[in-house]
Amino acid sequence: MTDTHNPAAPPDGATERTGVPGLDAASGRLDDLRARLGASPRGTVKPPVYGRHQYLGVLAFVAVTAVAAPNLITSAEGTNLLDLWLLYSLAGIGFYWIFGLGGRFAFCQTTMMAVGAYASAYTIERGQPFWLSALCGAAAAGAVAAVVGLALARAQHFAFAIGTLAVSQIGMVVFSRTSEFTGVNGQVTGLPYASLFGHTFDSDRGAFWLFLGVLGLALLLGVFLERSPVGREAVAARDGEMVARTAGIPVRRVHLMLYVLGSVAGGLSGALLANWQGFVGVDQFGLDLGIGIFLMVILGGAGSIWGPVLGAGFYVWAPKLLSDFKEYQGVVYGALLLVMIMVAPEGLIGLAGRARALLRRVGKGGAHG
Amino acid sequence: MATFIALFAGALAYAAVLTLAAVGFLLLYKATGVVNFAHGDLLTLGGFLAWWAIDDLGWPVVPGSLLAIVLLAVVGIVLERVAYAPLRKRPQMTVIVATLAAALVIRASIGIWQGSEPRRLPGPLGDGAWHVAGAAIAWQRVLIICVTAVVVGVLVYVFRCTSFGRQVRALAADPDAAQLCGVRIRRVSMTAWALSGALAALAGILVAPLTVLDLNFGFAIMLGGMAAAVAGGFGNLGGAVLGCLGVGLIQQLLGGYVLRDYAGALPYVALFLVIALRPQGIFKTHAARL
Repeated sequence: MTDTHNPAAPPDGATERTGVPGLDAASGRLDDLRARLGASPRGTVKPPVYGRHQYLGVLAFVAVTAVAAPNLITSAEGTNLLDLWLLYSLAGIGFYWIFGLGGRFAFCQTTMMAVGAYASAYTIERGQPFWLSALCGAAAAGAVAAVVGLALARAQHFAFAIGTLAVSQIGMVVFSRTSEFTGVNGQVTGLPYASLFGHTFDSDRGAFWLFLGVLGLALLLGVFLERSPVGREAVAARDGEMVARTAGIPVRRVHLMLYVLGSVAGGLSGALLANWQGFVGVDQFGLDLGIGIFLMVILGGAGSIWGPVLGAGFYVWAPKLLSDFKEYQGVVYGALLLVMIMVAPEGLIGLAGRARALLRRVGKGGAHG
Repeated sequence: MATFIALFAGALAYAAVLTLAAVGFLLLYKATGVVNFAHGDLLTLGGFLAWWAIDDLGWPVVPGSLLAIVLLAVVGIVLERVAYAPLRKRPQMTVIVATLAAALVIRASIGIWQGSEPRRLPGPLGDGAWHVAGAAIAWQRVLIICVTAVVVGVLVYVFRCTSFGRQVRALAADPDAAQLCGVRIRRVSMTAWALSGALAALAGILVAPLTVLDLNFGFAIMLGGMAAAVAGGFGNLGGAVLGCLGVGLIQQLLGGYVLRDYAGALPYVALFLVIALRPQGIFKTHAARL
């Protein structure tokens, strides 16, 4: 594998004039205002660091979800899926950091989730509070990732993918065969509900708030990362490793950092999942979920942090929508993935961006014709 | 001693199966630059098609197997047309994702067609065994080793001495230059996909009688083959064969004697160590290009 492709997010902030006279006058006045304030004229492509609205976007997302989701979704099954969506989004964001931003294809995200789940279950069974066990889960995943990442630092794209695949296979065997740490046959049951500051999250509805908060923090961290120098270095290292290295970017360190960070997100997701469901099993974190996380990021879009969130939503709710075609589910997923990768390699998020560009062009064409 | 001989024969046969799987996707990788993640599911499909021909159509074992091999060559061509040809100009990651998607479709289709209950495919030589120094070696294992030796020999000949082999080597070295020299990419690519599919079917049919045929059957073998191919230096046929031998010996001998419970993980530990210590593989020199 010589080149990795990651569709970049569509350039932001380039607004075209519409064909509507009143709107044009208004936008002209806006331009004057911007000039007087010393802002750059609209239409220039700005580096993402200027897009401060991204933080607001995260807050808006959390606010809208917090208001809309509990009101719209009232059934027990729906609430359950809602929680699952938030947790999978968290794991998906972790994979996005490794794959979308870092350009490294890691097969072992579910293994990291399992490490997080088992470590958290281990500490909680020894009487530690929930927050400590969740942190232990995340830290354990991070520690494993650090060792794996250091060992595979020199591996190129395909070798790295296969190396992490090896890690996930080793993980499966170890989890199901060692009984001290992971329970008999890798089953740990009877975990207590999560509780924080004296409040017990003993229902799906209660856990929703906890998970939404964690996901919001992860999204904020993601936006911060993308606006930081590390984010730019990661993109440079992803799109042209040799060039980035020549320019003095510590490519390996950036890769390692993103890998560990993504795995920590995965581990945290696994730990929360374990406490929420009350049990941990090897099969939970098997190949199906591995392919699932991959589907989430590719279908949602590997070029934006919102891709995994969107993709996780699709992955969680699609089986419900397709319940009439349950046996054809695998075929539908595969065919959908195939069509998506041909028609819109940048994912659902990319499709949205493209639709916006199309609308803009239609408006522009109307002004001339 | 008897245990050792039995384990050693098992290791050789396992290595031979991995080799068959590995040469299938390496051939494709050489000709088209694609790492085909659907190869494992092609193995499974080959096994199920043979089972269908033998059990449902009532064909004898050998013609039934041949039918499956031919059908899989056709499936290979279909895959080339559907999942590869429209994406040839796209970045490699896109094509790899497309093959993963194809793998999902194939696996789910087999599930719909045959259900998920495990099957047992009869071998062409029956269930007999060859007794050497007190150890029983199933005829099927002997057959696998012989067939693999023949296939690898033929492939080496094809690569070295035929026009097709020269074209494939040219494509592997430099696709653009090869195209400028008049190599017909489309034809070579379709041939390679067909051959790769046929090799997958062959591997699936040969190994299925020794184990149970279920939906995950081929995927595990493909992983082993990929591990061996990466360890041997990806794209290097000789290295892949040696890698497969290494994986087979480690899993069967070390796993058979010392670490019984963890036998399944041993090849992956070895693979991980190889990638960590020598990422370019044991038998490959590597130069980074812009």
